Amino acid sequence: MYVLVADDSRVMRQIVIRTLRQAGYDWQIVEAADGQEVYDLALSEQPDLILSDWNMPNATGIEALNALRQAGCDIPFGFVTSEGSQEMRDQADAAGALFLIAKPFTAESFREVLEPVLA
Amino acid sequence: MSTALVVVAKDQILAITQDVFAAMIDGGEVLITERAGAAGEFVDPVCAWVDMTVAALGLGARAVVRTETAAAHELTRALLMMDASEFVGPEDLADAFGELANVVGGNVKSLLAAPAVLSLPTVAAHAPELGAGQFLQDLTLDWRGHILVVSLWMLG
Repeated sequence: MYVLVADDSRVMRQIVIRTLRQAGYDWQIVEAADGQEVYDLALSEQPDLILSDWNMPNATGIEALNALRQAGCDIPFGFVTSEGSQEMRDQADAAGALFLIAKPFTAESFREVLEPVLA
Repeated sequence: MSTALVVVAKDQILAITQDVFAAMIDGGEVLITERAGAAGEFVDPVCAWVDMTVAALGLGARAVVRTETAAAHELTRALLMMDASEFVGPEDLADAFGELANVVGGNVKSLLAAPAVLSLPTVAAHAPELGAGQFLQDLTLDWRGHILVVSLWMLG
């Protein structure tokens, strides 16, 4: 698996990658620091999965998702965000996201969400 | 009207903070607890805050986390799994401590009475002064012998 991990915080990207490994996913990772990079790297790198923060500079995660879908890109997309309200989950779902993992997360919560997606 | 937007109890802030620290910093253990009494003045403070804004109402809330810079260094090392002797640069400190405020604030946002927009975190020695009437709540915490304060303020 080749996975794009996006967060404007380098620390949080490291934590996400570390948690993926703790959950047993030893994937090849490419990193993005804002929504524009998510869009650009998704199209150029064609990852198998995108794990993106919501609130980022330049373009938010949901703006990146909308732009990718408009560009005809259907790479599976999930959010990893500190904002886990029902309103945000509904917005993510309507935009075509497969899941929303709320921060703080654990290796177990990653597995619970990712296993059905990978099946 | 304004205070009805932000009805967040101390116990809720404590639960959020304990979840955040247990998951991100302390390997699942709850090592941050409420501390009795006021924190007093920090000698070398660092603050991180996020704003939650409800544009339609012209209102919002601010969540602020503050501590001593030495404690923020230790938090950064814990988040990045660095050795105790490793140097913490200012960029990593701002990134790590800001992200803590972001995750705490993002969870507080989900408790507000109206959908709000969360800002990116800001980190500085001091948070901007707000009026005493805007103060809503604060919680003094002990984490591995360090004092942290999480406070909540009304905006607008």
